[in-house]
Amino acid sequence: MSGTKTVGLKIDGQTVQAPEGTIVLKAAELAGISIPHFCYHPAFEAEGNCRMCLVEVEGLPKLELACSTVVKEGMIVRTSTPRILQARKDVLEFLLAEHPLDCPICDKAGECKLQEYYDRHGLFAGRFVEAKEKRDKKVAIGKGLLLDRERCILCTRCVRFLRKVTGTGELGVFERGVRAEIGTYDGVPVGNNYSGNLVDICPVGAITDADFRFKTRAWFLKKGPTVCPRCGRGCAVVVESVSGYPLEEKQRRVFRIRAGENPAVNGWWICDLGRAGRRDIDENRQVRITRKSAPEEKVSREAAIEEIAGRILGIPQAQRGARIAVVLNSLLTCEELALAEKVFAKGLGLPGVYFADPMPGEADGFLLTGERVPNARGVLEAGFSPRLPNLDALAASVEVLLVFGSYLLEHFSEEAISRALAGIPSKFLFSACAGPLDRLADFVFPVALPAEKSGTYINVDGLRQTFGRAVEPPPGVVSEREILGCLANGLGLNRGGPDAC
Amino acid sequence: MSEDAVRLIPADDSSWGLEAYLRRGGYEAARKAVTSMAPQDVIAEVRRAGIRGRGGAGFPAGLKWSFVPQRGTAPRYLCVNADEGEPGTFKDRAILVRNPHQLLEGMIIAAFGVGIGKAFIYVRGEYDRIAGRLGEAVAEARAQGFLGREVFGTEFGLDVVVHFGAGAYICGEETALLESIEGRRGQPRLKPPFPAVVGLFRSPTVINNVETLANIPSIIGRGADWFLARGLPKDGGTRIFSVSGAVRRPGLYELPVGTPLRTIIETHAGGPPEGVAIKAVVPGGLSAPVLRPDELDVPMDFDSLSRAGSMLGSAGVIVIGDRTPIIEVLKVTARFYARESCGQCTPCRLGTSWIHKIVSRMAEGRGWPADIDLIRDLADGMKGQTLCPMGDAAALPIQALVSKFRGELEQAMSQ
Repeated sequence: MSGTKTVGLKIDGQTVQAPEGTIVLKAAELAGISIPHFCYHPAFEAEGNCRMCLVEVEGLPKLELACSTVVKEGMIVRTSTPRILQARKDVLEFLLAEHPLDCPICDKAGECKLQEYYDRHGLFAGRFVEAKEKRDKKVAIGKGLLLDRERCILCTRCVRFLRKVTGTGELGVFERGVRAEIGTYDGVPVGNNYSGNLVDICPVGAITDADFRFKTRAWFLKKGPTVCPRCGRGCAVVVESVSGYPLEEKQRRVFRIRAGENPAVNGWWICDLGRAGRRDIDENRQVRITRKSAPEEKVSREAAIEEIAGRILGIPQAQRGARIAVVLNSLLTCEELALAEKVFAKGLGLPGVYFADPMPGEADGFLLTGERVPNARGVLEAGFSPRLPNLDALAASVEVLLVFGSYLLEHFSEEAISRALAGIPSKFLFSACAGPLDRLADFVFPVALPAEKSGTYINVDGLRQTFGRAVEPPPGVVSEREILGCLANGLGLNRGGPDAC
Repeated sequence: MSEDAVRLIPADDSSWGLEAYLRRGGYEAARKAVTSMAPQDVIAEVRRAGIRGRGGAGFPAGLKWSFVPQRGTAPRYLCVNADEGEPGTFKDRAILVRNPHQLLEGMIIAAFGVGIGKAFIYVRGEYDRIAGRLGEAVAEARAQGFLGREVFGTEFGLDVVVHFGAGAYICGEETALLESIEGRRGQPRLKPPFPAVVGLFRSPTVINNVETLANIPSIIGRGADWFLARGLPKDGGTRIFSVSGAVRRPGLYELPVGTPLRTIIETHAGGPPEGVAIKAVVPGGLSAPVLRPDELDVPMDFDSLSRAGSMLGSAGVIVIGDRTPIIEVLKVTARFYARESCGQCTPCRLGTSWIHKIVSRMAEGRGWPADIDLIRDLADGMKGQTLCPMGDAAALPIQALVSKFRGELEQAMSQ
């Protein structure tokens, strides 16, 4: 940390060195001491409204906010004196007084700060015997978000997010005192591309997403970090899924995608497009290899790959360049692309390695980029010059066609593709989802989606990010990396590569 | 009555205009400051006079002015806190109506001393009926060259804007007042930074109460010594006591700081009416903890009242007679704070409302003795733990009422 001055202070007797300007709450985290808080979020200026993070600073008569007090040399901070423990109980008792306590039907249960802190700092018997305020519990605030005003603790994270991060300011606080509530201005709903973050940052169950509502319980979710594949930004995301109980045995379902934290890329946020990627993972998946000539028949991967290898090797070596074509895509990982380069460009000497990608969209000026693939830089790095195939040229000369992904459909009409492919004798499609191209191919191979793989993507800024598998693929489904490895084996090209098959 | 006693509020309602004010020697102190004094000497004189803020917190005004950084290119602002919302307090209104030029003159001196070119007078929404007179006074002063560019023919200029609030007690809290002027929801800011450094529109800002500023012309005109002679060394000058409730002559009394509370009630306000005995007295606006009849010999200055467990606050003296049940006092007090809490921070938003719910139940005859301890605990949970002073302002008077009149409350519950 050259250039940054540090200051030394004591927190609960531990000596802590923290960079100048650090707040006590963060300095305590450095020492492994967590100070409870609701309203503080590292992305925003401290607001100090929840009063949960009060600590004692020696020499100051009142309790101070850990979220806004900046460290000073020689400062002595205490975070768990009887006075502080009482202050935390006081805050929790106030918050819980008007809280509906509907945890059994609240999506947030299990990951709710109010629950967690009551368990850790509360555990008192309730003394509130008055009538609770009645408030709206299902206010649609836009983009599938529902606001429950009884659960809301008015931390205003949502208001501040919309003012400071998106700059759209759709939410505000209305009324005052105990009647104060979050709402939209004149009913104009939340309408930006980052709305899902409101659910992530709500510390309680006040803002929930209709897409997740009542679908499962937080404690069943397995959380897998990965990199979002929906644009060139490469935001950190967490894919949350359930495998098996309480679903059927061997059943798997992705319930939501949330923002991961990556200061170098996305901070704490992701766009709604990335979040909606949840559906791609579960819906409409190919789950087994199908042969067009006998769709009901079970085909093993070994047999299918052998079939491809046989067709390729059936073409005399000198003619392969003209008669074999491959269409890849920029969602493939760097590792897969390297393998593809080895097999198709070097091994088979194909000049015709083409790319078909999702169509670019509009950049939104924040995280979402115009290009809608995660690894365009990786494609270049692997040595490819990505270009779309010419359908007429394919139809004229190609005998074996391998297509990875279904993105040709974004560039050509189904009819045009169908016409071009009609004359090609051998066609193999590798696609995660079922689609209109399936009926045109001799073999359709299911493949894993990015969240089901490990690998590396290089984002628009050239940042190389390696990620692990966030969620298990459907049974029997493997990644292109494995398929390409098998194919390399089948073609006798594999020396030192993966030895699957 | 001596000349001094009518210094801030003329008895005559028709002498509020510029002409009458000039006849009383008005704007001479401002002229003296602007044309013949150095700004730092103005601040020094006000500091020496020991005038403490008349809004309630009692912060020394001259010291506050001296905190404003004189370096930097950001404009500096003066905000006059005329959001007189403390129950039992009605003195600033009288100054605004009967002596607006004295406020303006004080503002000119303050602005000159601190180097301020723009001032806002933040008037509570409920005072909209006096808008005409205040606006007219500003126009008169501007026409006379006391405001606007080149005040008294010098390079110093001061622009004054009258701004009305929308009727929220919290906007009397200085940072909520700033938010309100800026056009946002009136709720307090987290401090530090303090307004003297980061205030209105993020610029250095002085915020003074109406009565504080109305005292400034005599401090500069007659000198700090003259002012000190009318009060105490650390708490100079006079205060306008707003006396209401069970007295024969409710009204405004301008008396030296340190005048005993009993003297104010008995001698000046004429004591309680025939057949009524004093049960309790709120000495400094509703937020000041209540005093019992045996505690009334306290001198009315900040330090003495603080030692007595209460506060001088805005010097609003509310006398409660023995015919008023304490539960009724408790109920209106609890209701006031519950309604006026801005709702921003947890303990105030939920504490004031919870206490109000308990007290309302008690007032309906459905209380039980444990309620009193619960109210005390809840008030403890608010004290010192809220974002702004309103938590204490609500907790302290409620705690004083339930602890000092526990017997009466318990007796009512047992019936």
